[in-house]
Amino acid sequence: MNEPTVFIVDDDLAVARSVRWLIESIRLQVETFPSAQAFIDGYNAAKPGCLVLDVRMPGMSGLELQERLTAQRVQIPIIFITGHGDVQMAVKAVQAGAFDFIEKPFNDQDLLDRIQKAIAVDAEQRGKDTQRSQLRSLFVSLTPREREVMDLVVEGMSNKAVANTLGLSAKTVEVHRAKVMEKMHARSVADLVKMAMLNQETQ
Amino acid sequence: MIPATDTMWLAIVILGGCLAAALIGLGVTALRLREAEQKISDRDASHESVLDRLQENEYRLRTIIESEPECVKLQAEDGTVLEINPAGLRLVDANQQADIVGRKIYSIVAPECVDSYRESMKRVFAGEAVVYEFKAITLKNRVAWMETHAAPLRDARGNIYALLGITRDITEHKQAEEQARRHQTELARVARLSTMGEMATGIAHELNQPLSAIANFARGCIRRLSAGGMSPIELIEPLEEVCDQAERAGDILRHVRNFVRKSELQLKPMDINQIVRAVVKFTEHEARQHRTMIHLHLDPHLPKVQADAIMIEQVICNLVRNAVEAMEEANSARREVSIHTRRFDTDAIEVEISDTGPGIDEAVIDQVFDQFFTTKDQGVGMGLSISKSIVEAHGGDVRAESGRDGGTILRFSLKLSKPQVSKRERADSIHS
Repeated sequence: MNEPTVFIVDDDLAVARSVRWLIESIRLQVETFPSAQAFIDGYNAAKPGCLVLDVRMPGMSGLELQERLTAQRVQIPIIFITGHGDVQMAVKAVQAGAFDFIEKPFNDQDLLDRIQKAIAVDAEQRGKDTQRSQLRSLFVSLTPREREVMDLVVEGMSNKAVANTLGLSAKTVEVHRAKVMEKMHARSVADLVKMAMLNQETQ
Repeated sequence: MIPATDTMWLAIVILGGCLAAALIGLGVTALRLREAEQKISDRDASHESVLDRLQENEYRLRTIIESEPECVKLQAEDGTVLEINPAGLRLVDANQQADIVGRKIYSIVAPECVDSYRESMKRVFAGEAVVYEFKAITLKNRVAWMETHAAPLRDARGNIYALLGITRDITEHKQAEEQARRHQTELARVARLSTMGEMATGIAHELNQPLSAIANFARGCIRRLSAGGMSPIELIEPLEEVCDQAERAGDILRHVRNFVRKSELQLKPMDINQIVRAVVKFTEHEARQHRTMIHLHLDPHLPKVQADAIMIEQVICNLVRNAVEAMEEANSARREVSIHTRRFDTDAIEVEISDTGPGIDEAVIDQVFDQFFTTKDQGVGMGLSISKSIVEAHGGDVRAESGRDGGTILRFSLKLSKPQVSKRERADSIHS
């Protein structure tokens, strides 16, 4: 797994440098960008971490960058830094899915705590994402019949009930079910249920 | 000018004429009178009637002067009061003639006014009619402002032997004048403060930047020091950053202080684009809150202008805020303010501030720079009138017009700091 990086976007270079100095004190990797556009141009979505973003910037504002990232399905958690009296803007940002916001000047511990949490959330998301894409490739390997059987088993039906519903023999259902368990690397029906739920989330 | 001046001059001419005639008469005929008196016993009735007429004349003059409601006095060249009427006695708080007649007028002139008073008297004795003001301290130590209309009195040979002065108390008028002036200054200051107040949020944000940076650098240092294993040399750079940011905060405060205190123009060669950028930094915050975009179109090749940066900032700030507020009030869908700077004529540049608001009603376009003219519910109508007076004090002028596609355009010009004359032209003008 990659080391997490904190991405800082702030047009005020002195402030950006100071935040970097602060964050580096807890031995996190930091990359700074002087504008939203520079971030879009230079960001590699494969890198885990979180984004510390100034709400107010000339050119593309923090909120606009957030919109762009959402549209591009980039899920990096965003911590907005707002100036005095920008609370309305911050509320908007959070409503639009921002991870959190913090008002400037902020307490260092508050910022670092939020950054740690955001990084944890990002890691969890990325973990789930990996799991999901793995699951998806497993699902794809099922035949249509096997998927039908799986759907009904996950609903809690017995082999017999599944056989009745699909007009198959109990023996055949038994074979399909064993195949499903094998292909999905499931050790129990409970496992299978969890997988089905996770798969549904992504749909 | 003080009202009733014409009347006063008329009075002084009549009085002067009468007095001159009378005094010349008195002076020249005094001897003859005495002769006449000595010889009165052996003279006939006709002589007696001449004497009577002369006395009658003098009596008439005295009555006119003594019943005159304004102070009428005669002064010698050295300032000695020769004669004064009852109104004059009242004016200087004297109880009787002896309190003031025979004394120097300077005893009632405030020390700071003595020099200018002497100067005026000199002019009168040189033959000129002069109006002068002075601060008086009366015999009862009452301080009053007085105005004197003075004319020279000449004897039969044409020599000036006295000053005839009509004086009146103008204290109330002076106070009203002073109050009006103070009021004006106060209004300008209040307007500046209100501009200031509205800019405060912008300034707060501006100050927040260096303060945040300082806190971050300092805390980063503390964390590293507490964790140990940090060599002191590594702390020098962040500590230098702290110093820089403290200076940056100081600069912002100095700027604000100048903005509030400023009273006199301090013209220096300035980069107009730099001034525009400084203003936008402070007003951008407010603009954004009103969903307004500010676009800059600054000509990078402009020569420097002769300007007081703080004052011109105030003008631009006023114009931008006006635009932002107009669009807010009209609830305009598109809200943009554009600031252009460009060359204007050979000796000036122009700053143009245009918006996408409702524009100005043609009927009031000439009034927008008037004091107390406002279209805003909350406005006091000082912004544009102050802006205009500032620009005019710089030798420039301001114009307002409606944009072709709606909106309002405000333009003002500023003179270049050095007249841009080419070498050839200069050579020509030397040789011609």
